[in-house]
This record gives sequence, C-alpha cells and structure tokens, in this order.
Amino acid sequence: MAASLLPVKIFADEATEERAENARLSSFVGAIAVGEMIKTTLGPKGMDKVLQSARGGDIQVTNDGATILKSIPVDNPAAKVLIDISKVQDDEVGDGTTSVCVLGAALLEEAEQLTKQKLHPQTICDGYRRASAVALKALEDVAIDNSGDKIKFKKDLLNIARTTLSSKVLAGDREHFASLAVEAVLRLQGSTELERIQILKKPGGRLPDSYLDNGFLLDKKIATNSPKSVTNAKILIANTPMDTDKVKVFGARFRVDSTGKLAELERAEREKMKAKVNKIKEFGITCFINRQLVYNWPEQLMSEAGIMVIEHADFEGVERLSLVTGGEITSSFDHPEMAKLGECELIEEVMIGEDKLIRFSGPKAGQACSIVLRGATQQLLDEAERSLHDALCVLSQTVRSSRTVLGGGCSESLMANAVDNLARETPGKVSMAIESFAKALRQIPTILADNAGLDSSDLVSRLRAMHHSGGDGVYCGLDLDAGEVRDMREIGVTESYKLKRQVVASAAEAAEMILRVDDILRAAPRKRDRH
Amino acid sequence: MQFKDREKPDQIRISNIVAAKAVADAVRTSLGPKGMDKMILKSDKDVVISNDGATILKHMSVLHPVARMLVDLSAAQDVEAGDGTTTVVVLAGSLLGAAENLLKKGIHPTAIAEALMTTATNATEILESMGKSIEMNDTASLLQAAQTSLSSKVVSQYSSLLAPLAVEAVMALAPPGTTNVDLRDIRVVKKVGGTIEDTKLVPGLVLTQNVSKSANGPTRVEKAKIAMIQFQLSPPKPDMENQVIVNDYHQMDKILKEERAYLLDMVKRIKKTGCNVLLIQKSILRDAVTDLSLHFLSKVKIMVIKNMERDEVDFICKSTGCKPIADIESFTEDKLATAEVVEEINEDGARYVRIGNKIIGSAVTDAPKDIVPRSTSGSTLSGSASPKTVCIVVRGSNESTVSEAERSIHDALCVTRCLVKKPSLICGGGASEIELSVNLRKRALTQLSATAFCMAAFADAIETIPFTLAENAGLNPIRVVTELRNMHAEGYQNAGINVKRGTAVKDMWDPTETHTVVQPLLVSLSAIELASETVRMVLKIDDLVGTR
Repeated sequence: MAASLLPVKIFADEATEERAENARLSSFVGAIAVGEMIKTTLGPKGMDKVLQSARGGDIQVTNDGATILKSIPVDNPAAKVLIDISKVQDDEVGDGTTSVCVLGAALLEEAEQLTKQKLHPQTICDGYRRASAVALKALEDVAIDNSGDKIKFKKDLLNIARTTLSSKVLAGDREHFASLAVEAVLRLQGSTELERIQILKKPGGRLPDSYLDNGFLLDKKIATNSPKSVTNAKILIANTPMDTDKVKVFGARFRVDSTGKLAELERAEREKMKAKVNKIKEFGITCFINRQLVYNWPEQLMSEAGIMVIEHADFEGVERLSLVTGGEITSSFDHPEMAKLGECELIEEVMIGEDKLIRFSGPKAGQACSIVLRGATQQLLDEAERSLHDALCVLSQTVRSSRTVLGGGCSESLMANAVDNLARETPGKVSMAIESFAKALRQIPTILADNAGLDSSDLVSRLRAMHHSGGDGVYCGLDLDAGEVRDMREIGVTESYKLKRQVVASAAEAAEMILRVDDILRAAPRKRDRH
Repeated sequence: MQFKDREKPDQIRISNIVAAKAVADAVRTSLGPKGMDKMILKSDKDVVISNDGATILKHMSVLHPVARMLVDLSAAQDVEAGDGTTTVVVLAGSLLGAAENLLKKGIHPTAIAEALMTTATNATEILESMGKSIEMNDTASLLQAAQTSLSSKVVSQYSSLLAPLAVEAVMALAPPGTTNVDLRDIRVVKKVGGTIEDTKLVPGLVLTQNVSKSANGPTRVEKAKIAMIQFQLSPPKPDMENQVIVNDYHQMDKILKEERAYLLDMVKRIKKTGCNVLLIQKSILRDAVTDLSLHFLSKVKIMVIKNMERDEVDFICKSTGCKPIADIESFTEDKLATAEVVEEINEDGARYVRIGNKIIGSAVTDAPKDIVPRSTSGSTLSGSASPKTVCIVVRGSNESTVSEAERSIHDALCVTRCLVKKPSLICGGGASEIELSVNLRKRALTQLSATAFCMAAFADAIETIPFTLAENAGLNPIRVVTELRNMHAEGYQNAGINVKRGTAVKDMWDPTETHTVVQPLLVSLSAIELASETVRMVLKIDDLVGTR
C-alpha cells in the first residue's frame, strides 16, 4: 500500500500537464491578453503598433491585425488559436483580422465569468452555438445585394473600400485610394487573382500622388542601344542562359595544342550564340525578356535586329509578365510556331521619382494594372501596401459574392439584439450563455467608441435602444468622427457580408474550441545535444 | 470629452516624440546660411564633414524606430526635392513637439493627426497662392534659387561660381517643354587637387579612367573616331575551361607566334575602320589588353582607355553616340562615334580624359558670369545639336571638401530641376514660413473644436524655421520673429530674415537688394507634406512590440 502514496510518474521529464480549472484559466488568460493587445488597433480611430524585430532592429509600423499577430512570439495554446483564426481570416477575406481576434477574445472573457458562476463549459458551448446561428440568420436577413444595378454596386464597392481604408494609414486619402482600389478590382473582371494587380512602392512624393497605371511596370532597364520604345510589341519571355551554352559537366575542358585552335574554339562559341540568337529572331519578336543575364554579344546582335532586350527580369517579374502579356515562358527555341508570344501595345521607359521603369501598356490579357504608391518613408509605404492589399482582397471578394451589410457597429448591434431576443425566449441556464454572446458582440462597438476616445457606455446603450425601437433604427451605427449614433446608410459605412459572417462564425468556433479544453499537455522540449 | 487611456500608450507616445525631437535637434544647428557643419566619424575611421541634413542623418546610426523614420523622411525629401533635407526634419521635430503639448491637453491623438492633415492641406493652398511662376528662360531667377540652396553649404563662398554651373547643366538637358530631368545624365566627377574655384562644366564627355600609356600610345587624338568595345584584345579564352598542351619547344614558339598573329589581326581590323580611340569595357574573366596588344595599338596610333564599367556604357554611348561592339566580327565603321578631340587633361595633379570639341583659347569655360545660350557655347559633341549628357568636374584641396562640394552641387542641381518640374518660386529666409504661420492662424479661427486648437499650435510650430535661422545666425530670435510677424501682419508678404545683414527686411524679393533669397515652391511644398505625413504616422503609434 505504501507504493500507492508515491507519485506515479507518467510523463517524461519536463513534460507538463495543466488540468481542469488551471487549464481553462490559462486559456482564458492567453486569449484575453492577445485580444487586449490588439484591440486598440480596431476601427477608424485605432492606433498603430511598431513592430521591432529582435535582430537587425528592422521596424514595421502597422495597424493590420494579422501582421501584428503573425509577428509576435506566443507560447500559449489559446493565444495561438486566436492568431490562427486571424490568419485564416486574412487568407479567406483579407480584412477583419483584428475584429475576429477581438470578438474571439470577448467571447472567452464572457465565458470566464460564466464558469465562475458554475456554468458547465458544455452548456456555454451550447448557448454560443445557438446564439451564433441566430446572429448569422439576422445578419443574412439584412444583407443587401446590389449586384444587379451597376451604378449602385459600384457605389457599394466604393463604400466598402472607404470603410476598410478608414481604419488604416490611408484614412486621410481614403477617397483617392478607394476609387483607385475599386477601379483596379473592376479591371480584374471578377477574377480574384490579385497577383495581376501589381503594387510598386517608390519613396518620395506624397500618398495622394499614388496612381493607378493601366499598364504593367517592370523595375528593370532596357539594354544599351536597343530601341527604347516599341509599339505593338511581340514579346518573348525566356528563361535561358544568354552568356554561353556551357556544357555543364563537371571537369569538361578543351585540350588543344595551340593558341590558334583556342581562338577557333572561342569563335565557335560565339557562332553558337549567334545561332541561338538567330533562332530567337525567327520568332518574329520585337521584345526579348530574359530572366537571366543577357551578355554583350547577344545583346548587340538583338539590338541590331531592332529587338528590345531586357535582361535579368527576376522570377516574379517574369511570371507576372507572362500572366499579363499572355506569353509563355520559353526555354527552348527550336519551334517558333509552338511558342506563345506575349503581346502589348506599347513598351516604353517612364520615370517615377528618381527611377526609370519600363511600362508595358495595353497588354493582351487586359485585366492587369499596376498601382504605384508614393510616400515619405519606407514604413509608410509598407503599411500603405498592406492596407491597399486588404482593401483589394475585400473588394475582389465582394465582386464575387456581392452582398453587403452596414458597418460602424451597426451589424453587431443588430445581431446582439436578435441574440437577446433568443435569450429571453430560451428557458434554462443556456439563456445565460446566449446573453453573454450578445454582450460579446456589443464589445465591438464599445471598443470602437473607446478607441475614438468617446463615452462608450453612453453611446452603445443609445445604439441598443435605437435598434430595439425598430424601423429605421436598425440602420444605426456609430459615427466616430462626430461621436454620435447615426444612420449608417447616410455616411456610407458599408462592409462585405462575407467578411462579417466569417468574423462571427470563426470567432464563435474558436471560442467553442478553446472552451472545450480541460487539459493542456505540453511535450518535453527536445533536447539539444552539443557535441 | 477628455481622452484618457492606459498608462503604456502614453509613455510610448512620449518616448517616440522625445526620440524624434532628439534627431531634429541634432541637425537643427546646421539649418540656414549661418548653420554649422557636422563632422561625422564613420566606423571605418573615415571622416565626413557635411551640412546636408540627409547626409548627416544617413551616417548617424540611430536605433530608435521613430528616429529611423525621421532619417527616412530626410531621404525621401532628398529624392523628391533634393534640398530642404534639414528643414523637413526640423519641421517634423517641431510639429511633434506641438503635438506633445496637445496630447497633454487631453486631445485624442487621432484628432491631432486629422487636424494636422487639415493644416497640411491648408498650408499647401497658402503656399501655392504665394508662389510666383517664372519662365524657364528667366535665368536670373534660376540662378538666385540655386544660390540660395548653396548659401547654406560649406562651399557657400563659391556659390556665385557653382550656381551658374548647376543651372547651366540642368538647362542644357531641359529643352523647353520638358517636365523632368534625369540627374543621372549629369556626371559629376570628383578630382582632388586645385581649389573649388577650378570646378567647371566640361564640354563633352569626361572619363575618369586614364589613357593606357605603358606602350607609349598617343594621349591626344584629333578628329577622333571612337569605338566602345566589349571584347578583349588578349589571347583567346573560350568560356569553357581549357588547357593548352605543349609537347616540345617548337610548339611553344608556334603558340607565341599565333598569339601575335591573333592580336595583330584584331588590331589591323580595328585600324581598317579608321578607329583611333578605343574604349574597352572591364572584364572580370580576362585581361582587357596585354602588353603586346597595347604595343600594336600604339604602333598604329590608337589611343586606348580601358576599365570602362558595364553600367557606364549606357552613359558613354548616350553622350558620344557610339554603339557598343561586342565582337571583332561586328566591328564596323557605322558603330563609331566622332569627336574633334580626345585628350588627356592633366592639371593640378588630376588627370582625366575629355572627349569633345576643340577648345579655342585657354580655359574651358571660365566661370560663366552670365549664361551663354547652349548653341553658341558650342560645347556639344560634334554632330548633335543639343547634348544628351553633361559633365562637371569638381575640384578641391582635399577629399572632404570635394565630397561636400559634390553634395552641394547635387543640391543645386536638384533645386534647378525642381523648377523644371514646377516653375514657381517663393521667398526664402523664413518669409514663406512666417506668412504660412500667420495665415494658418487666421484660418484656425474658422475651424471648430480640436481642429482649431491644433491648427493654431501647428502654425506656431512652423515658425521654428525662421526662429532657428535667426538663432543660428546669432540674432535674437524672439525679436526677429516678432518683427517679421508684424511686417507680415502689415501686408509685407515677402518679409524675411536677411541673414547676411542680420536684420529682418521687408521684401526678400527686392530687385535692388544684392541678395534676393528665393527657393522653389516644390521644396517647401514637399517639406510640409512629407513632414506632416510622417508626424501623423508617429502620432498613431501606441505600442512597441518586439518580434522575433
């Protein structure tokens, strides 16, 4: 019997286990800490964070939830789950990354209170599940689809872009960037291939100097002496060595017994290259773009033939060009009839700031375009790119599934009211969990108001009353500039339905997942042997 | 509507502002014509002496993230306008200082940021209305702008020499109707020796490389036919590895003979086209020329200049009009360029090669007192009416002087280019800033709530520029600035500080004055816009997160 009093060792050294209350507590603490950290970045008056990397001291200034969460090192399973849902949100919709994380954390915060009141986690889960179903139903009911009416739809898109951008660094010039983003996305004609929109960052100038270029811009140089502008270009995009076709066998070498023979060999090499160039010429091209270097000799030969030569276009450049101009990347030149050439109306050099770039205007696959961003500092440009990317993501998603809902805390408030009604009708303990769900939803307008330095308790309760009164009240949200409750339709605060839906659904799912945890097992860290 | 937040964001904000102000303070004393220079000791023990804000900040190794943003800001101004790099940082520091006070009053940072944007838009409006547009052939005004830019540099006493140089160089490349000039078409060559007074605009193309003289080749060629070659005049060497196997003594003789024949053949072919100046691109794989080929070339009186960089080729071809030749087979006459003379110039211990027209008389261009129209100065390469490139040779008694002179010329070039981009001038010497501040204060009265408050504060902050100018000049800043305010209130829009005379004057533009201080509108515009953009970004930061 004495043996049973000794602790039985089940786990390996350093492996740990946290049980029941402890496990739950550590989940709550982790999730709430993450939510707390990024909640100040939410909304149009949200603040930015400086991310400073431990080595190198590189800095980023950002307002983008996904970017912040991606960069911070965490060692808490629940926090990791929240970071993951934010990542998924980024991949799926591109925006709302902060909202999803904040809502998840709010749900868990409420759950913590409920567990203190001796509610079983499973009961809470049940309540959350019912509540989220009702919330999503309510959201779907108010979603409007304007895709039939082109003018209205474009206005919707502009509103969405403006709403997304208003929380970012581009807020000051949101009109400009909103129309820029909408135009770019409409050019894609329903495709979500955002790679076709190229974003170029050039320091100098101001944000409003940024513009949409209808062509494709390549940050490379045209070779000396080849024509600097080509109209109705036929483009061959190649990935081939243009220095010399070396026999790539290790140790291969010529053995000769005189300098004359060496000279002959050198000549032969030159002739071989000339032959290759001649083959390329047979394609009937006017522009040759190579991913690798083009040496002087082939460059001269092609220039003489009136072919524009662009060397050393890197991987990304070549792939994009192939996408944009409709040409295929070619590596062998024996069958000119089989190759697909790219086409575009005009290739020319343009000067942006201090740099010269090559512009391909009027490409065959006409959907492509470039956005040139100008701004004071590299950090500003990086952040502007992230913001614009978010807007583009949301817009391209909206073009696909065109339903929209109102922002500014309006949708959340609406859902919260629907959930409240459900709570009133539901008997039993579950109703407490349902009520908590509504409270968590109201956290979003609360944080929005808090971040703007407004009296959140007053505003949110007024918002709730408006929604409860029904009628036009259900279109009310927070106007954070004026600091009052207003009809969101008037100031055009619109968000994508898909985005909102995704935020509520994945936050609820994540919260449920974390709630169901009652045991955290940590594997022993792998030992590092030093020999 | 009191703004209260947690403790941490407040501290972060304050620490950011402190860091930014520290950077601004570091360059503050170098603002203006009486500004002082900084000596920077680089980690490799090199010394840089400069008055140029962008240069100073670039060499300062700052760590704080916000301080780094200010360094970037200065670099951006350098790209955009090329001048005003100190101004922009001082301005940003001062705006942040104003923001700090506003934060203490309990105004929400985003409200301040938005007010700042309104202020910036108003400021650009005011500045634009102050701008006086000029014609591009108004060289006097161009010269004044360039001189203003140079007056704050180490080389300020030579501004009467350098300013015309810069203006002439840019104007040569800007035929009427152009809106931008690529400064890369202006080659600035630094050569230590002589004094800054020897700095000149050299007609034609200047090469920093020397003529190869080891085989007694010519160093001056008249009626030159120039070829730019990208192959080498050395024993053959295929791209693949190779080995020459020698079995006996006779074979060795044969190898040597063949090598001679090979080189001789190439030289003959070159000579046949009439070429007498050879520029050879550098190769990392093999020798450009050997003693033997040099010997042959000198025999046929061909001048050889080797070690051309590959990225130089474009510039050389553009200026001379020759085409690069990559293989002896394609060495034909039509690829050659012609010039009246190619000569190695040797003066005051500096050697460089000049390709261009013959110069009649003694000097190249004696510091032009007034600018001669391009066509009559005739310093282009023969055959082309307007030059595509310009060369400036900067001289000075030591390395740091030459470098600083080069930077100053760059600034002057940029200023002139600004005028090509946007031909409009405003008054310098703090006049535009005071006018801006006076007007902003007026406009603030029409605004409501926090915006009005912030705008007034920012209007005060802009006054830091004339304040600092006066301070650096050893004047009583309070007196000068208030005096100026009075003058502006009385309607003297162009009243500013005449630093040389040490007083406030009513009209910086007075043609009877010896020193009219004017600067391109674009410089001031971009300084205001870039500074406010950066400050807005700094204000919106509320946390510093360490990442992996």
